[in-house]
Amino acid sequence: MEPILRVEHLVREYGGKGSLTRAIDDVSFEVEQGEFVGIMGASGSGKSTLLNCVSTIDTPTGGRIYVEGREVTRLKPKQISRFRRERLGFVFQDCNLLDTLTAFENIALALTIRRVAPGLVEKKVRETAQLLEIGDCMDKYPYQMSGGQRQRTAAARAIVTGPALVLADEPTGALDSKSAKLLLDRFEALNRQREATILMVTHDAFTASYCHRILFLQDGAVLTQLERGERSRRDFFRQIIGVVTQLGGDQSDVL
Amino acid sequence: MFSKLAWKNVRRSVKDYGVWFLTIAFGVCLFYVFNALENQSVLRFLAQNPKVNVVEAIQRLIGILSAFVWAVLAFLILYASGFLIRRRKSELGTYLLLGMERWQVARLLLVETVCIGVLALAAGLALGVLAAWGLSAFTATLFAVPMTFFTFELSLPALAKTALAFAAIFLLVMVYHAFAVSRCRLIDLMRANRVNQTLRQRSLGASVALFLVGVVLLVIAYAMLLTRGLLRVDALFWVMIGLGSLGTLLFFRSLSGFLLRICQSSKGLYYKNLNLFVLRQFNARINTTYRSMTVICLMLLLALGITASSVGLNNTVEQMTNEMTPRDMQLIFWNEPEDPEPDLAAVLKEGGFDPETECSAWLSFPVYQGERSNVLSQADYDAMVQRWGKKEADAFLEREWVEVAADETAQTAPLNYWYFLADYAGDKNAAEEKFEEAVSGLAQLGGFSWSSKLQNWLDMMGTKVLVLFIGLYLGVLFLLASAAVLALQQLTQAADSAGQYRTLSLLGAPAAMRGRAVTAQVFLAFFLPLSLALVHAAVGMTAANAVIAEVGKVDAASSSAVTALLLLVVYGGYFLATCWGSRRILRTSR
Repeated sequence: MEPILRVEHLVREYGGKGSLTRAIDDVSFEVEQGEFVGIMGASGSGKSTLLNCVSTIDTPTGGRIYVEGREVTRLKPKQISRFRRERLGFVFQDCNLLDTLTAFENIALALTIRRVAPGLVEKKVRETAQLLEIGDCMDKYPYQMSGGQRQRTAAARAIVTGPALVLADEPTGALDSKSAKLLLDRFEALNRQREATILMVTHDAFTASYCHRILFLQDGAVLTQLERGERSRRDFFRQIIGVVTQLGGDQSDVL
Repeated sequence: MFSKLAWKNVRRSVKDYGVWFLTIAFGVCLFYVFNALENQSVLRFLAQNPKVNVVEAIQRLIGILSAFVWAVLAFLILYASGFLIRRRKSELGTYLLLGMERWQVARLLLVETVCIGVLALAAGLALGVLAAWGLSAFTATLFAVPMTFFTFELSLPALAKTALAFAAIFLLVMVYHAFAVSRCRLIDLMRANRVNQTLRQRSLGASVALFLVGVVLLVIAYAMLLTRGLLRVDALFWVMIGLGSLGTLLFFRSLSGFLLRICQSSKGLYYKNLNLFVLRQFNARINTTYRSMTVICLMLLLALGITASSVGLNNTVEQMTNEMTPRDMQLIFWNEPEDPEPDLAAVLKEGGFDPETECSAWLSFPVYQGERSNVLSQADYDAMVQRWGKKEADAFLEREWVEVAADETAQTAPLNYWYFLADYAGDKNAAEEKFEEAVSGLAQLGGFSWSSKLQNWLDMMGTKVLVLFIGLYLGVLFLLASAAVLALQQLTQAADSAGQYRTLSLLGAPAAMRGRAVTAQVFLAFFLPLSLALVHAAVGMTAANAVIAEVGKVDAASSSAVTALLLLVVYGGYFLATCWGSRRILRTSR
């Protein structure tokens, strides 16, 4: 079966002649349908650049990215918009909710942009909100909600359209540990119940321990991979810490 | 180095300078047109008659008015400059952070201002020359001025005056820039991009109630205006104005909430494309914009009203002159009862004006002191009917409050005064000059007064030209001011919502859909005040027509056409510039 995401020899260079920086240096990997994959690395390791390339926000210098077998690096601007609204869901660190809209409307907007029949909008939003346990704050504005509720609203907005791939950039970065755990529980539920494929960038080992598989990036290249397999999350967490420590003392900021 | 940076800045931030440019260009155009009035065909035509000094009066009045116009334009341009500075605070902060001196930053802004200013001045003058020519053609047809007076010429004094006036405004802008740069603190400049929006949401139910109250107030004000008329200025008049203004305020205060409520009840509309986003944005902004929307609506109303009524009032000179003085000349003479009866025709002939050769038709007759009113003998009436027809003769009786009596009855009554009516033959101007000289001979015999069609026509036309020019001047100024303020507000808001549009782009809203949302927001901001102002104007004009109809007939078609044209050019121009600017601000690269 065709993997949801296939990245082949991806290269992203910045700067001109003389001062060339390779943010991503020949990265290849695949994400299968229904996987929950994490990308870890220190700041400057290229993890955000990788995510930006996959989400079509950035254009790679070389290599190819396929989503559901379709090459996204060659898309034209119009096709990019279409690709984003039909195949991708985004969750950002600062959640990017529109502050003039209620939580309900923020989620609904993702549907109206896709031109979903108006009659279906309310039903879909309510179902997704139920799954993310934010049903009781649907009529609140973002500034009236807690950080965790905001982030779960953003997650609901990302998955309400049933995207092939959910991209999360440090989703727990701005949350306290309790809200972070709640959000990750919901991610897990999404992954299991809706079979959502999730690609999550994080620098936090606890957050990463929810994933099935983790790619470790260093200086723009994949250093190593870790699979959870049948292990408990606690064991997996210890293993992640082990790798992070192995990466070197100068990498202390990974934690 | 600096001039290079400045020029690069100008080219880069041309989207921000758009409205600034437009405001200066339109301002220059307006200022030039009304300071170059001596080239207007109507005024040249009036000026060729040395007895009419209305031309000088018009020019003096327009000159005084120009000071006011200058002040308004200076304010507008400074306001636009303030917007520019705010937009570029973080850029200026970077310059200061890099170690540029404050005076260097100020000089950078100065060079930019001069670059854009000179371009705008040139564009405005070119536009002004064209507009002056267009106005000349328009008024020439309006007043039926012979085409010989219609030429295409530049007014050098007006050019110089305009350039000087705007150079002074640029100087003010420079002082303002220097002041703004010297006062700003680096930390504020660097933080300028982090906009803290405090949102106060009000319940939609309250909005609906407020909206209904606003509409009721407006309807009451309309009813008062229509039943009471426009010109009864008493306590109730001010109550009416107050109700209207308050109604307008409430209308705009609650309109967004009301619209939101209505649209929410229709899911097909609300959950379509970015509709819910546009409505919510509009509703969130209304707290800061409803006051200015109200002021803009009232300013637009003023602009529409002034323009429409001043143009409308002007169409009727010919007709009104004919009604007031149907004969080319009418002389009234009176003397003491013991003096001999004068032979008016003979006296005039002696003075060099021979009625037999100078007039195509003339009549001289006495009127007597009747019981109820002045009376005219049957014989003289018959003579008048024979000269000018029964209709004209009856019109004379009605106009001069004279009745016809049998010859014997009339002649026994005491003499009151004599009439001398005439139509000139040949060149009317020459004939009138001769008559004027001859009529002075009557002064030794008694008292007299005369009026001529030519005099009346010129007087009336002078007044109307004055009304027209001042009306247009102020009307266009108000229009310009409201459009410029609206445009700047919208651009500021667009800059503030850049982050939101980036999110929309990430959610996959295509560029065209986002563009439509921007246009919809700008459209709402421009056309809601305009539509209410049009409704106000329509009601106001209905009331004003009653007043104007007493002074002269209003030509609704042509006054509406001129108003619509001005509205289209000025307001439409700003609308397009704002759409374009907002879309550019909100365009994301990917």
